[in-house]
Amino acid sequence: MSEQVHNRLAMVRAERKVSRQSLAEAVGVHYQTIGYIERGQYNPSLDLALKVAKFFGLPVEALFSLEPFKPLTDQVYGHGRDQ
Amino acid sequence: MAQQEQLSRYDQRMYALMNRTEGAPLYRTAARRRAVVGAHVVLTVASVGAWLATVAGRQDWATWVMLALLVPWCVATGTINGATRGLLELRTRALDERQRAERDRVKALAHRIMNWLLFATVVGAGAAQLSGVDVRATVFQLAVGVLVAHWLMPMWVAGLSARDEPEGFDVEE
Repeated sequence: MSEQVHNRLAMVRAERKVSRQSLAEAVGVHYQTIGYIERGQYNPSLDLALKVAKFFGLPVEALFSLEPFKPLTDQVYGHGRDQ
Repeated sequence: MAQQEQLSRYDQRMYALMNRTEGAPLYRTAARRRAVVGAHVVLTVASVGAWLATVAGRQDWATWVMLALLVPWCVATGTINGATRGLLELRTRALDERQRAERDRVKALAHRIMNWLLFATVVGAGAAQLSGVDVRATVFQLAVGVLVAHWLMPMWVAGLSARDEPEGFDVEE
C-alpha cells in the first residue's frame, strides 16, 4: 500500500535558488531522488523528509502533506475563500 | 548517496564511475533503454552460444566470435549500469534509501521471472525427453544458459525499469 504524499519541494528549492545536486549532497541522497520526490514518483522516508525540512529551516508540514497544497496565491491573498 | 565519510575510496571511485554522464544519450529515453537491454540480451545469447561451441563443440572459430562480441557486450553492460546509476554494482552503503528500495524491487522481480524461466526449462526438458529427444546430452548447455540468465536477469530488469532523468527547474551549479 502506498499513499501519495504531496510536496512543494520544487517551489521552495526554486525560491531559495538551491540546485538538486546541492540539496541531495546536504541530505545524503542521489540528486535523482530529489527529482523523483518533486515529481511525486517517490515518497521520502520520515528521516529524509525531516532532513530536507531542516535544510530549508521549515516545519516538515510546510513541505510535505497528505492533502494537496493550496495554490500559493490562495494562501497569501485568500482567493477562493468565502467572503 | 550515503554520506561521503562512510564510503571507502573504492566506493567513491565506483560511485563516480557509475554516475558518469558521457553515455547518457544512449539511455535518455525508455525506448533507447529497451533497445540497449535487447541488444545486451542478444549479445549475451550469442556470446554464451559461442562459448559453448568452443568448450563443448570444440569449434575453434567460435573463440573468435566470442572475442569479437566481448567489447560490444562490455559497452552494452556499461550503458545499462549508467542508466541505472550502478544500482546493482554499487555497495549498499553507496546507495540512498530510494535506490535501496529500487534494488530490492528489481531483485524481487528478477527472482520471479527466473522462477518461471526455470519452471519452463524443466517442463521443456521433461517434455523433450518424453517425446524421445535425449536431453541428457544438453544438460550442460541448459545449465550454463540458466546460470547466465540468473546472473544477468537483475541487470536486464533494472535497465528496463530505469526511469527518465528528472526534468523541470534546476539551479545552475
